[in-house]
Amino acid sequence: MSERTEAALLLAATLLVGVGTAVVTLTNDEGITIDAYVAASAFLASFGGLLFALKTWASRATRLLLPPVALLTALGLIEVFRLDRDLGRLQRYWLLLAAAIAIGVLRLLHGRGVEVLRRFRYLFLAAAFGFLLSPLLPSGLPIGGATINGSRLWIRLELGQRTLSFQPGEAAKVLLVIFFASYLADRRRGLAEMPRSIGPIRLPEPRQLLPILLAFGVSFAVLVYQRDLGASVLLFGVFVVLLYVATDRPAYLIAGGMLISSGASAAQNVFPHIQGRVDAWLHPFDNFSGTGFQIAQGIFALGDAGLFGTGLGAGAPYLIPAAATDYIFVALVEETGLAGGFAIITAFGLLFAVGFGIAIRSGDTFRSLLALGLTVTLALQMTLILGGVLRLMPLTGITLPFVSYGGSSLLANFGIVALLARISHEERA
Amino acid sequence: MSRAMHRIAAVSFGVLALLTVWLTFQQVVAGSTYADDPRNLRALPDPDDSRRGIITTADGVVIAEDRDGIRTYPEGSSYLHVVGYVTADASAGLESTRASDLRPLDDGSITSWLITLFGGSLEPPEVRLTLVDRIQRVASAALDRHTGAVIALDPATGAVLAYASSPTSDPNELISGDLTVSEFRDDPAALDRVAFRLLPSGSTFKTLVAAAALEEGIRPDTILEDRAEFLAPGAGQPITNVTGGTCTGGDEITLREALAVSCNTVFAGLAVDMGGLVINDIAQRAGFNSVLAFELGAAISSIPTAEELDADLGALAQTGLGERDLRVTPLQMAVLTAAFGNQGEMMNPYLVDSVLTRDGSTLKRTEPESLGRLIDPAVAADLVSMMVDVVTDGTGRAASRPDMDVAGKTGTAEGAGGPHSWFLALAPADNPTIAVVVVIEGEGTGGTVAAPIVAQILNAWFG
Repeated sequence: MSERTEAALLLAATLLVGVGTAVVTLTNDEGITIDAYVAASAFLASFGGLLFALKTWASRATRLLLPPVALLTALGLIEVFRLDRDLGRLQRYWLLLAAAIAIGVLRLLHGRGVEVLRRFRYLFLAAAFGFLLSPLLPSGLPIGGATINGSRLWIRLELGQRTLSFQPGEAAKVLLVIFFASYLADRRRGLAEMPRSIGPIRLPEPRQLLPILLAFGVSFAVLVYQRDLGASVLLFGVFVVLLYVATDRPAYLIAGGMLISSGASAAQNVFPHIQGRVDAWLHPFDNFSGTGFQIAQGIFALGDAGLFGTGLGAGAPYLIPAAATDYIFVALVEETGLAGGFAIITAFGLLFAVGFGIAIRSGDTFRSLLALGLTVTLALQMTLILGGVLRLMPLTGITLPFVSYGGSSLLANFGIVALLARISHEERA
Repeated sequence: MSRAMHRIAAVSFGVLALLTVWLTFQQVVAGSTYADDPRNLRALPDPDDSRRGIITTADGVVIAEDRDGIRTYPEGSSYLHVVGYVTADASAGLESTRASDLRPLDDGSITSWLITLFGGSLEPPEVRLTLVDRIQRVASAALDRHTGAVIALDPATGAVLAYASSPTSDPNELISGDLTVSEFRDDPAALDRVAFRLLPSGSTFKTLVAAAALEEGIRPDTILEDRAEFLAPGAGQPITNVTGGTCTGGDEITLREALAVSCNTVFAGLAVDMGGLVINDIAQRAGFNSVLAFELGAAISSIPTAEELDADLGALAQTGLGERDLRVTPLQMAVLTAAFGNQGEMMNPYLVDSVLTRDGSTLKRTEPESLGRLIDPAVAADLVSMMVDVVTDGTGRAASRPDMDVAGKTGTAEGAGGPHSWFLALAPADNPTIAVVVVIEGEGTGGTVAAPIVAQILNAWFG
């Protein structure tokens, strides 16, 4: 794809943000408000800045990365505004901040290369633990932990009148992937060797297994202390996939799968709120006014959507609890129909194809694992939330990357985009 | 490592493909399953577009339409118990059960998109009934100032051709605000006497007793004992005939003659001889004691259990005549009468033939649905031939026609304010195109009150 095409696609996405926001206000008889221009401007500034940064510091990076991200971000920006005007306006600031962070990452890695990250891997690990534990800070301080929707995975920042909530787990996920990739790039040979055996089952040296157990322990701790099923499955899943890819040993996938399912069934028995989620998944209409309400409303919304949806602003997605975060996909399908749903899934497909392409073509083990880990993070996160709202699996509260409302999510995912672009740039050196 | 990465990528795209298929599946399933769930606030009609489609009869008469945004029923009270009514906060009849079919099509659904793609109209659809106005008109007029019901079915399909209940009232008075919803609902006229009025069937039940006897091996010309009285073992009062003596004047009678003159002693004797199990069985096969899946709902016609019948042979004898605890709806009697004329197979009655777009293409069509076999074709043929004798030589002469054989059966059931007059009919007898049931409450015998109304209905049908 040429630079010109890329720029044209980003402009098209900008136009989409402006027109989409205008359609939302027009549908609600507010006329075309300043919001349409502000949203389009913030969007253009963010992606224009990114485009410039790529041109300057990662000029050989693939041109295919930004357009699908821009489409997803544009749809999210419109729909979050449609659901909640205040959140929608806030999301524009988060987008600007996220683009700034991505640009900063590109600038920092310029001249040093992704390789530099390996040197700080234990720092990243410590920072990730710090982030993961920070919501456990007592509430009441200017910065304190907070429990929202039964999960304690938020940091609340009191800024005078305003309170900003931030999910540090999102940042931790990127730092942990960097750590995993770096660690596995060094240790893959040892982990791939299976010198011991119990009957037909061959095992690596026990000390090699410590990291996988540690990762499982951390994930499970996240689940126990923060009650965040989604993040827990995501972190562990990405680790297991990376372990498999680094060693070429499917046994790790099998072992990881067994740990996930036994952990999940243990969690189901221990935590009533997880049992409730499983019940709500299987029989949403049995407890319609209770745990099943969100899923049932999602089903109604999907049923109402049809091929092209009700039109932006004309549906009733606000009837679904957490429509702007967990249920943003269903909200968009309700208003843009099956066509809109396919567009979102296709955009993710393009993004993953680019990500996997970067990973596969990259000659260096660390860069390859890092690109794969980052792509799998996005893919697994999308699968968890889409599978949840479409009732393929129990619903785990997690954001849909680039689309859901959420500052921390946007920041982390734009960080991922910057890293992928940088690896792509280096891979073509 | 590269092979593993390819595999992970392949799995990811497999998941994406699965999500695409699953999204489509969920939309289609959720779209159809929960569209009318009362908890689904999205299912409520769009307040900006309250237009509803028209309801028409099979012969093209408009029974319900929007006139300047006001729901209007041009045929007034005649179709009340079928079509019902719709106001801002209440609805009944097909206006209620077909609310989603009458809504404008422009709802963003995949169906509506396909319609526009092929140049179709998105105006609210037309619900076309199976009812035929030229018969319905005669049925309503015939019931005027009587209390009762008329129902006519197509025996081959179960399609309802006429459905009238009296007294009735004009839904336009409700729409105009002359009456409140509760006044309208509490009025006796609101009762649908076709599907919800339970009455003793009187001698019309003898058709089922005769069918059971034919199944037991008795032939139409089998000679039975013609008695002046029949006293069931253990019963206090003997059963007598309308004539006071024997039915023929002699002491022998065939089954055919017994049905034609509605001979009480013979049928009471047959019921007791065959026993509660046989009588209960044929009635249950005819749909007694079970719910009929009728669009407007229906009361359950009932017969005591075999044990209850055998425990009191006097009651069993009276059940054979359609009295005592036997209770039926005109609708149920029409279903089994139609089965006699459909080689013994019962069809589920239905009111809506099809839902059409305003430019005439079919959105849905009701498929006739079998309720199972009531009797064998040979038994049905014998029974219908015996019922022809009822009209030619027996109690139902008032329903006869010069141009064809009519099969029928009269019934006169005990009622508090006078006897209820029943008549079941099938015409033409050799290949029936219509099954009619008429009941008039509290006015006299089946042969004198109900049969002439049947004759009017047949006149309207055959012209």
